[in-house]
Amino acid sequence: MIYSYLEEANLKISELKQIVEALLIATPEPLTQNRFNTCLGENKIKIPLEEVIAALQKDYETSQRAFFIKEVAGGFQLATNAEFEPFIKGLFSKAGKLRLSQAALETLAIVSYKQPVTRNEIESIRGVSSDSSLRTLLDRKLLEIRGREDGPGRALLYRTSTEFLQYFGLNSVKDLPKLREVEDILAEDQEELI
Amino acid sequence: MDKNHRIDLEMFEGPLDLLLFLIKRDELNIYDIPIAQITKNFLAYVELAKELKLHSAGDFVLMAATLMKIKARMLLPIEQDGDEEIEDPRTELMNMLLEYKRYKEATTSFSEMERFERPHYYHIPASWSPQNEDGTAILEDVKLYDIMLTFQYLIKNYEEPVTHSVAVEEVTLSEQVGFLSGLLRSSSKISFVTLLEKFESRLIVVVTFLAILEMLRNQQVKVKQSELFDDLLISRGSKFEN
Repeated sequence: MIYSYLEEANLKISELKQIVEALLIATPEPLTQNRFNTCLGENKIKIPLEEVIAALQKDYETSQRAFFIKEVAGGFQLATNAEFEPFIKGLFSKAGKLRLSQAALETLAIVSYKQPVTRNEIESIRGVSSDSSLRTLLDRKLLEIRGREDGPGRALLYRTSTEFLQYFGLNSVKDLPKLREVEDILAEDQEELI
Repeated sequence: MDKNHRIDLEMFEGPLDLLLFLIKRDELNIYDIPIAQITKNFLAYVELAKELKLHSAGDFVLMAATLMKIKARMLLPIEQDGDEEIEDPRTELMNMLLEYKRYKEATTSFSEMERFERPHYYHIPASWSPQNEDGTAILEDVKLYDIMLTFQYLIKNYEEPVTHSVAVEEVTLSEQVGFLSGLLRSSSKISFVTLLEKFESRLIVVVTFLAILEMLRNQQVKVKQSELFDDLLISRGSKFEN
């Protein structure tokens, strides 16, 4: 399927796979089709990144590599296979990644479904002050500040970041599980009572 | 109160969480919450929160007041005022509980996603920062939050020179915007740390920082940083007026 592009770009499939592999090793953020086009530069030939990735992925599987290509935050990135976690943990002083607290997860959930959102809106849903959770999430770069509200007070608006998508292995916020409807919850409650 | 109760209370993320717990435990109907009963149980926990000096105790006390207000309103005789339907005083609380419950439930899937993603580690190149010609790294994507953290850090180390003159300092935002524009016309890059050294008061520092933020917003300047808490390098932005 790639072959028609190959001739035009004057590249062999093995070369193309190597190029993408090199980009995956060096990219500081998930590699997107757009960025890939820029990297190919002068050739000006649009090669579908997804197809090359699929071919590479197959190579990794058959040669039993310890990593795979993960589709995340609208692009592709190398990630280690799960079974190596016990060993990888030893590389970090804090015994692997720190998990988020329940308070932080609640705050994050509200932001991800309602963004952009102010601290006030978050606190009125949680019914509890959320200053320290917000700070933790900003420090861990899972949230970012994106401007201010137009209304009085010009409150800061919070949004989720690319790191948020990476952290939860999402391609975009559209992939978040759907928030349950209030009617659903009520119906279930009634059933439980009966 | 026994020890188990203590552990319980710290488990709750706030008053709404506690209320949801009480509703579930006592198998109450969220449509028809027995306010007197739930208020009594809730208050027992709030007493504990105060005793434990939980930092969220204030939020619990606030909810206790709300519950008591609802309870009082429920005791008032309902005036039959024609056909007009009188709202149940519990409606607002019910809506709050349901809305909170939706997000609380969502956190379960967030936890699952987190658990699922945890064992995967991304490949992140060590030398990912783009380099300047002189070898210093540049953080292209400096976020407002980073700039504010940096300012906080820099100003903490800023010592006001000791002077004894008494005069009203007058410095305005537009003056400092003008000042910075002037500097940027003659040099392509200014260091915030070097600027700090020139200023004689904290007020000027703060106003200048605000001027930078203002110009950043209008794209008159760009701000770069090698790493967090490092010096801010200010250069001309796309809308810089010469």
